[in-house]
Amino acid sequence: MNRKLTTAVAVTFAGALMLSACSSGGSSGDSSDNPDTSGGDAPNELTFMFRGGEYDKLAYEAAIASFEEETGADVTMIITDADQYNTKLQAAIAGNKVPDVFYVDPANMMGYVYAGVLADLSGYVDQSVVDNLWSFGVDAYRMNIETGARGVDGDPFYGLPKDVGPFGFGFNTVLFDKLGLEHPSLDEPMTFDEFTELAKQLTVDMDGDGELDHWGTGLNVMWNSQAFIWGAGADWISEDQKTITVDTPEFAEALQWFADLGLVEGVTPSAEQAQTLDTYQRWMAGEIGFFPVAPWDIATYNDKAANDPENFGYEVIPYPVANEGDDWATWLGSLGIGVSENSANKELAAELAVYLSTDLDAQKTLADGKVQIPNLIDYATGEWIETDAAASGWPSNSKAFLEIAQEKGRPLPMIYTYTPQWYDNFWIGIENVVDNGSQTAADFLAAKQPEMQQLLDQSWISADQAKAQG
Amino acid sequence: MATTTEAERTTPVWTKADAKASRKANNKLHRKEHAWAAAFMAAPVIGWVAFLLFPMGFSIYASMTNWNGIGNMTFIGLDNYTRLLQDPYFWKALWNTVFYMIGIPIGLAISLALALALSRNIRGRTFFRTVYYIPVISSLAAIAILWQWAYNGDFGLVNQALALVGIQGPNWLMDPLWAKPALIIMAVWKGLGYSTLLYLAAVQAVPRSLYEAASLDGATSWKRFTKITWPMVRPVTFFLVVTNIIAGSMIFTEINIMTPTGGPSWSTASLVWYVWNQAFRNLNMGYATAMALVLGILVLIVTIIQFRINRANDFSID
Repeated sequence: MNRKLTTAVAVTFAGALMLSACSSGGSSGDSSDNPDTSGGDAPNELTFMFRGGEYDKLAYEAAIASFEEETGADVTMIITDADQYNTKLQAAIAGNKVPDVFYVDPANMMGYVYAGVLADLSGYVDQSVVDNLWSFGVDAYRMNIETGARGVDGDPFYGLPKDVGPFGFGFNTVLFDKLGLEHPSLDEPMTFDEFTELAKQLTVDMDGDGELDHWGTGLNVMWNSQAFIWGAGADWISEDQKTITVDTPEFAEALQWFADLGLVEGVTPSAEQAQTLDTYQRWMAGEIGFFPVAPWDIATYNDKAANDPENFGYEVIPYPVANEGDDWATWLGSLGIGVSENSANKELAAELAVYLSTDLDAQKTLADGKVQIPNLIDYATGEWIETDAAASGWPSNSKAFLEIAQEKGRPLPMIYTYTPQWYDNFWIGIENVVDNGSQTAADFLAAKQPEMQQLLDQSWISADQAKAQG
Repeated sequence: MATTTEAERTTPVWTKADAKASRKANNKLHRKEHAWAAAFMAAPVIGWVAFLLFPMGFSIYASMTNWNGIGNMTFIGLDNYTRLLQDPYFWKALWNTVFYMIGIPIGLAISLALALALSRNIRGRTFFRTVYYIPVISSLAAIAILWQWAYNGDFGLVNQALALVGIQGPNWLMDPLWAKPALIIMAVWKGLGYSTLLYLAAVQAVPRSLYEAASLDGATSWKRFTKITWPMVRPVTFFLVVTNIIAGSMIFTEINIMTPTGGPSWSTASLVWYVWNQAFRNLNMGYATAMALVLGILVLIVTIIQFRINRANDFSID
């Protein structure tokens, strides 16, 4: 008896230790620190792991309740903090506890596809559904597994859009009115020269104390320069994603122009004043003329405009271009909904992914909460832009967001490569060009190109290895 | 008739059979104790194997593989180690990490000074002890955000305070020259309360009689400090240096919050920050593991050297 007891105690100790080491701990509670992310075992069980704010939760709870009612599925929602999501997902994959349905970042997608984690959804989604989604919303998740090519129409897709995020541009209508300036066109882009001229007129010492009170703009190079580089016809990477193209005259001119806004023209707050948070604060305080406007900003901007109408009001406009007649562009983000290749209920999981991406009520909730523009083209270009958008407080020129989603938007340059290290490298030392001017854009880019090319080549080597290894 | 001597009568003969019987009785008697001992020992041994030996072995193997953290591993020998030797960002991050250690002696010197001050019978002593300890129990993320604001080049608290004495402060977190010192200042401030608390306990444990004897011999305050206080608190100093170096080598959170892209010209990127980026952003888990192991070995070497130095300087006051 005693020997049995001793053995039991030892085994219990050992078991407890082993379990605490190996299990993910906890039940499938929706927001515990270490939720069980494993896919469901029973024929109708699914797990859905995602990140997001209150509106995402609200929209998806309602959508999932409807889905459960329609299909008899039992869906467990796992919500994590946004900044921990990728790490937790990666840990869940490494621990072989892949959720049935989960958010996937298109920038991380290649590794997941090669590792056999993401299911090809092409066979599960009707073409009519695909046709009613913004093309980038699906293309962002397309991948040719043989060549590694991304975003090519017709290739298999491994995710559906949770959203598409158009990174728009805007101006402070109140500041323009205060200074008696004519509003820029809501439809036609300004040229760089026109933009600079307006920015100069917006940079004013209002009370004559020798200190500037307003500035033309205040843009963070890392998040805002893309539109201007593209607007000058330049790009970071070739279309086949194999060559770094930053060492072109167009790129150098555009980057130098961007830097000179502050260094030469003096139409932005100084480097000391222009840390990211500060320019945002200054824009919100009505001190800056031009600033980015994205869907996720709308609710905050509306509150500010309602509470401080003497200083703040805004409207959405196209990004400037280098020369008249050039095509304007800006970046378009997306977060996807993917399905586990090894899900026990893959078909049901794919059905849920489609439902979350395209359920009209969920889309209405998210658009109403000013979290995102609707994914469904027919709704977005019809009822939403005609009535719902204005009714729920979107700016009157919200069609600019749809234009970005439909035509003008481009993915951030690193989205279609295996790793983003080459792109991250571009920003190291950029302050020498835009903040202190100790280096010209041309010199900076000439030095960067080979370094970035080496990292891009390495990225492709890693992609090939991941493909071979599985 | 057999006769026996006195000695034979009083000393029992211990035969092999007796010994065997005794061992058997003993074994039976202690069997229960042995079983319990084994059970209690099993827990830490299994824990050590499961949580230290196995992960360590796995890490060593992973560091010799090409692995993205989600797919299969491919053994590549020492390639990751040769790669890191040629990786300028590894060396830059290692240098940044070593540079952060400058904060350790600075922090210890200030902590000791504070502990000496707080050990005296001054007004508001309890208040100051509490105030200095608050940063220790505060969230590092929250502190990092607050300091990010304080370091704002335009209207940050630090530069405003400097402006009061006529100094125009730098744009701390945007300047490659000042970004690391800015993080060091914050780390010193955050760790001050803990070090002060330990020093305070050590200072108060120094026997008064030593100071009295020194005073009678005419020792100055400085002599009393260098010859009595400093040697007496040396075990605490040793403990703080070792733990601070280990903690300092793992600096990550404040860098990721205050300078999420590694700072201007990558001037704040620490080795753990680089490891994290390689592992989770660039899907180079194998390479990241190799870097982490190299960092671990470096910290181990430094710690061993410290133990050696400490042993060489050991003394007692018997």
